[in-house]
Amino acid sequence: MVTEEKRQELLNRLKNSVIQYDEDGAKEASNEVVALGMDANDAIFNGLVSGMEEVGRLFEAQEYFVPELLMSADALYAGLDILKPHVKQLDLGVKGSVVIGTVEGDVHDIGKNIVKMMFDVAGFTVYDLGRDVPLDKFVEEQLRTDSDLVCLSAMMTTTMVGMKKVISDLKAKNPNVRIMIGGAPVSSDIAGKWGADGYAKDANNALKDAINMVSSLKKMKEEAEAKKRG
Amino acid sequence: MAETRTMTPRERVLKMFSGAEVDRPPCFSGMGNVTTAGLKNFGYKFAALHSNARMMADAAAATYKLTGFECGVVPFDLCVEAEALGCEINVYAHLEDILYPTIRKKIIHNEAGMETVSIPADFAGRGRIPLVKEAIRLLKAGIGGEVAIGSYVLGPFTLAGQIMELNDLLKLSFKKPEKVGRLLEMLAEAISLYIRELEDAGADYITVREMGATSDVLSPRVFKNLILPHLKKIFSRTRAHTVLHICGKTNDIAVSMTESGAGAISVDQKNDVAETRKKIGSALLFGNYDPYNVLVAGTEEAVRQAVRKCMDDGVDAVWPGCDIWPTVPVENIKAMMDEVINYRR
Repeated sequence: MVTEEKRQELLNRLKNSVIQYDEDGAKEASNEVVALGMDANDAIFNGLVSGMEEVGRLFEAQEYFVPELLMSADALYAGLDILKPHVKQLDLGVKGSVVIGTVEGDVHDIGKNIVKMMFDVAGFTVYDLGRDVPLDKFVEEQLRTDSDLVCLSAMMTTTMVGMKKVISDLKAKNPNVRIMIGGAPVSSDIAGKWGADGYAKDANNALKDAINMVSSLKKMKEEAEAKKRG
Repeated sequence: MAETRTMTPRERVLKMFSGAEVDRPPCFSGMGNVTTAGLKNFGYKFAALHSNARMMADAAAATYKLTGFECGVVPFDLCVEAEALGCEINVYAHLEDILYPTIRKKIIHNEAGMETVSIPADFAGRGRIPLVKEAIRLLKAGIGGEVAIGSYVLGPFTLAGQIMELNDLLKLSFKKPEKVGRLLEMLAEAISLYIRELEDAGADYITVREMGATSDVLSPRVFKNLILPHLKKIFSRTRAHTVLHICGKTNDIAVSMTESGAGAISVDQKNDVAETRKKIGSALLFGNYDPYNVLVAGTEEAVRQAVRKCMDDGVDAVWPGCDIWPTVPVENIKAMMDEVINYRR
């Protein structure tokens, strides 16, 4: 058992490593978490993710930009790689699996990767199709994996139009699937018109949405634990 | 109402660039404006245009001929420079749908590769550079007496993002700016070499598209310190009229954009043009209607409204925020032209 003081110290170190995009710091703190037998879930959510939440805030305030975001994500992954094998199976009460990719004609995958990271953290099973993904592939992969969610990304005006077809194809094959679209040129108006369920306006909002998703998962988890204890 | 003014679209655009008085703001673009309506007349497939100078020129001229849109612009994709530097591109020839070419194979695969990459000796003769030049000549011979002929190049940072992983480029801009600076220096030279070819072929104006430097991605500080110096070099070496285009958030870098030495700056619908106008004084400012949500997907009235807003906010030319998506209704472009011609007469 770690003392509350030690726990707080490690959580702070994890959090600050992400904020200061310090990969080595994140690794060291994570190794210590494992060595001391501290709860890995606690370290991920209250350390790493907490740091990423702050990064999201700094991004929104335009103190951080995409390079800082990417470096923070590297630090988060450095910690996550060490902590993940020690996570006990989460019982979140939701079936989390998601197909994610950038549509054909678009080779920009940074926004997609940031969203993917949050799903990774949240313990979702992520089927990452990568970038420049043929439209049919999204439908095939959703059917193959029976995923609940499909996330489509397009970074340019000249590539987003392809998403329209994927959305209608997906909905035709499986009316229950939830679809989230994102990328610089996309609007909530377009998402609505094309029949998507969710929309992330840009990297910033994609991150925010993903964080909201993780935060609400955190809340559900806390409630589940409180029930167990109660 | 029909145009009763006497300036030709070509005179209007060139005079505006030279700082002379014009009868009204031109309505044109320095970026792609090919339309499927224009392609239909020729029976051309979009994917085939990129590798055929005649088709490229026909398709570019068709927009002006169908709608009066005041320019002719080639090429239609963003991969010409990267291809000439050695990247492999994908034109999606197998697809009926419209997809713009992308880079399939990059030439820098790791940090060390940034130092060893160089401009090929026969750069100006490589890839599709000769083809684009031929398309400009054909376009010039066709409609060059009536409208200004434009072409575009990528800015050095955006080009760097095509020849190496954008992820790595962004992180290195932060971690190792000197290394990125050296790469941008080399790319700025390559871009200038390409611009010289476009000028020789007869391009009247060149738009430098540096969308990778948008404040959605990079801080204004990094733009100013790392990218702007290389843009300055490019503009100082260019003889044709020039435009610097950056999309996304640009309000905080608009002044820096004018300091680049570009003849005009171009911004998209995320820019608050009225505010930018105050900041940059009388520098030429082009923009900023939404080329998809308004021009392609909007009603004629929405198009007219957007035009009036651009003009009220103080643009010198009514100009789209990006490439115009080809399925644009011809009626919407005509409505746009009509509004530009008749508003404030």
